[in-house]
Amino acid sequence: MNKFMREISALPRDARDTLFLLAVIALIVLPQVGNLPWWCTAITAMVLVWRSTLAMEARPLPGKWARVGLLALTLAATFATHRTLLGRDAGVTLIVILLALKTLELRARRDAFVIFFLGFFAMLTNFFYSQSLMTAVTMLLALLGLLTALVNAHMPVGKPPLMQAARTASWMALAGAPIMLALFLLFPRFAPLWGTPGDAMAGRTGLSNTMRVGAIAELALDDSIAARIKFEDNRAPPQSQLYFRGPVLAQFDGREWTALPSWARGAPASGNLRTSGQPVRYEVTLEPNHRPWLLTLDVAPGAPQAPGLEVTGTPDLQWLANRPISDLVRYRAESYTQFHSGPVRQTAALRPYLALPPGSNPRTAALAAEMRAQPALANAGTQAFIRAALQRLRTGGYTYTLEPGFYGNDTADEFWFDRKEGFCEHIASAFVVLMRGAGIPARIVTGYQGGELNGVDNYWVLRQSDAHAWAEVWEEGVGWLRVDPTGAVSPGRVGQLQRLVPQPGLFAGAIGAMSPTLAQNLRAAWEAVNNGWNQWVLNYTQSRQLNLLKSIGFEAPSLEDLAYVLLYLLVGASLAGAAWALWERSQHDPWLRLLGQARARLAKAGLKVPDTAPPRQMAAQAEAHFGPAAQAVREWLLKLEAQRYAEASPASLAALRAEFRRLNWPAAPNPGR
Amino acid sequence: MIASLRSRIDGWFLSRRPPSDTLELTQRNVYIVPTRAGWTLGATLLVLLIASINYQLNLGYLLTFLLAGSVAVGMHVCHATLRGLAMHMMPPEAHYAGAAAVFRVVLHNTRRSVRYGIGMAVRGSGQWAWTDVPAEGSATVEIAFKPERRGLHPVPPLTAETRFPLGTFRVWTVWRPAAKMLVYPTPEAHPPPLPPGEPLSGPAATSAALRAQAAGEYDGLRAYRRGDPLKLVVWKKAARAQATGSEDLVSRDTQQTQREELWLDAQATHLADTEARVSRLCAWVLMADRLGVDYGIRVAARVVQPSQGEAHRRACLEALALC
Repeated sequence: MNKFMREISALPRDARDTLFLLAVIALIVLPQVGNLPWWCTAITAMVLVWRSTLAMEARPLPGKWARVGLLALTLAATFATHRTLLGRDAGVTLIVILLALKTLELRARRDAFVIFFLGFFAMLTNFFYSQSLMTAVTMLLALLGLLTALVNAHMPVGKPPLMQAARTASWMALAGAPIMLALFLLFPRFAPLWGTPGDAMAGRTGLSNTMRVGAIAELALDDSIAARIKFEDNRAPPQSQLYFRGPVLAQFDGREWTALPSWARGAPASGNLRTSGQPVRYEVTLEPNHRPWLLTLDVAPGAPQAPGLEVTGTPDLQWLANRPISDLVRYRAESYTQFHSGPVRQTAALRPYLALPPGSNPRTAALAAEMRAQPALANAGTQAFIRAALQRLRTGGYTYTLEPGFYGNDTADEFWFDRKEGFCEHIASAFVVLMRGAGIPARIVTGYQGGELNGVDNYWVLRQSDAHAWAEVWEEGVGWLRVDPTGAVSPGRVGQLQRLVPQPGLFAGAIGAMSPTLAQNLRAAWEAVNNGWNQWVLNYTQSRQLNLLKSIGFEAPSLEDLAYVLLYLLVGASLAGAAWALWERSQHDPWLRLLGQARARLAKAGLKVPDTAPPRQMAAQAEAHFGPAAQAVREWLLKLEAQRYAEASPASLAALRAEFRRLNWPAAPNPGR
Repeated sequence: MIASLRSRIDGWFLSRRPPSDTLELTQRNVYIVPTRAGWTLGATLLVLLIASINYQLNLGYLLTFLLAGSVAVGMHVCHATLRGLAMHMMPPEAHYAGAAAVFRVVLHNTRRSVRYGIGMAVRGSGQWAWTDVPAEGSATVEIAFKPERRGLHPVPPLTAETRFPLGTFRVWTVWRPAAKMLVYPTPEAHPPPLPPGEPLSGPAATSAALRAQAAGEYDGLRAYRRGDPLKLVVWKKAARAQATGSEDLVSRDTQQTQREELWLDAQATHLADTEARVSRLCAWVLMADRLGVDYGIRVAARVVQPSQGEAHRRACLEALALC
């Protein structure tokens, strides 16, 4: 490595600067690799390597036609990949390609500037895909790299070491940080100027608004974070009650559950929601999921307060935003964990919740009829039937597994009679089919269950692996009841921290082998740091800005006030800058300043001494001009000389300054004489 | 019309700076404007800001504002690169009109940090000389210049500029040095041979004969004296002397044989145009100097008595420059 560095610094300046710039470009593009079309990554890498060999061997750059040809080729490839040259993803591809191709004509300073500007755009496009702390740190390094290259390009003399330019660049960034902070805190946050393009939502996973039972042979646990929840005063409900509501699925075609069309869902939820107990207040920080759902703890009667979003409720108690959540969103909500909803009496609106596709799952239908026929259940209520079904799940040898294999067509039959294993969606689906077979309205609710408390910052973390499906069953006189059949099969799956953990990676495995708690603590600490980043940087919104103003004394802050504060700061900073410049000007050598004062004092007394006269000459002239009256002045001047030039100074500068004020200066000449 | 207005504004602007051989750069005489790259960077910042707003990228805001902050600091750094610098004009040497010449300017830096990337040029020439000025030290810049007319001229206005560190701002100053610069005429490219000598007259003739006798020189030879042209060295004798181990050289004594003296007279050029005359006289002065003969000039009302050597040549050229 050291040898490599030495070789690099031994190159001619042009080659060294070019290599450095190419490295910075590589750093900018690197985080994008996952988001770029493969050919774009390949061409970029090829061009960067090509350009660096040209620089190392001091060979001429490719001709105009090679560059134009490459440009045309990549434009065509971009169009072929994205079907457009506009739009976000196509734009990102183009910027990266242009950045790479521009290095092939990197000669004059103007070309260097074009690369810098493209580089800044490329840095910004990184944030479309990730705004994590890691991305931020990488881009900070890249920004310093670009600034260093820019500073280096403006040191025309010789071959200054890159470290020198890096130092200047870092200093500028450091001194610019307060400006950044002030602007970041106070620059008014506006709503998007135009709609975010549609391709922003492509290719993401999360909860889905359909559920295809049995199509997944193996559930991969996705450890990424779905949301973070901070409960007011850290008063979280017991984990067994932490059900976060997502889409409600009630329409079944034999394989796939989908949501009912909105006209079939019945009356709005707020009309017949009955809650009891104390509300739970909390704040949710939702990771982008590119769906309009706002997760709330079951059940939130009022709309979550999400700044910048219009929130509407659905009849099945879900809250929806007016646009997909494409960036980190934070909102406050209030929920009741004890509630009943839906109609109390049998109505026509419940009919869709009884529908089963004709002919599907015949054995489950027979099982439902058989159970109904049992004398103990024949006349008992819905509750008794549910208990019986759960009893069957508990005692019938059913197991919870993440690897159930593929199911056939009659998934409920297969679950109840053949395989007897599956994960929450198999269990919930089979349970709801059984209920409906017995004439009891039932539906599937998807969402997240449980979560994990991070002991470092007391945030509850919901991961994609906490995604869950449970059932809601309607009972006469009560309404909808939550039933989690998975809990009957695998009590540990609900309410406790016992998860099916995916195999740890090599690194995590190594740490885990040393100390199992260390791995967990490290992860908790890292996620807390990330959460802090989310809360303080990514989630700095208009409402936070206004809160900031409130905390510094504005009673009813508005965007206008933000502008005022920003303006005041700007004026203040300019004044401070002017004051600094003035101060800098006065910061001449204090010794020379004192000498200048003495010269002025002598001039006032009528003796003009040239500006260049040293103290000894001034003393001689004063003596010649004023005679013995200038004795004290003469001595003082000689002391001043000694202070500067003698090996051991007789008096400090401060003492000389004090003496200067006490000194008996010769009187000014009498104008009358 | 616009050009004349611009030159008048320019003249007014220049007339406001008192000429001085030393210039201390302060807030008052250092100017700053954004460069084209600076404007482009501003536009880039605007686009970055709009993208951050539209995609609600808080990290985008951070990037934009950090860049803006760095550029603002860069503006200050750029201005401070010139501010506080002191420039001294070295006494300019005389030059021939039309030939490349240089001024030397010493830049003094009292600050405890290096000032990078300072360019200096004759105002409007566009021929920049770049230098770094070390911390608490000084650097000398040689500024290329092509004097056009002979005579004693003030040094043309100079300009110093820097774009360090980001190239987004141009900081510059204009300086009128007080020093005067002597510009000799352009020597004629292919001058005719020297004019014939004129007979020695009066005391000069006798003094030359006396001098020759006093030195005891025979055969028109004498010992080599410092400053003798190489042409006058008798190389045959020198070779012989070297063979015997002696380093002594021998010169031909031209004065011994010279019974005429060389006058370079403006009349003798037979040219009507003053500048052409002066130019030919200049070429003759240089030629006579190279030959190592005594020469004198008569031009306009000026007369320089015949002699030779470096000081004499300079006196003649000065007379030609100023006539």
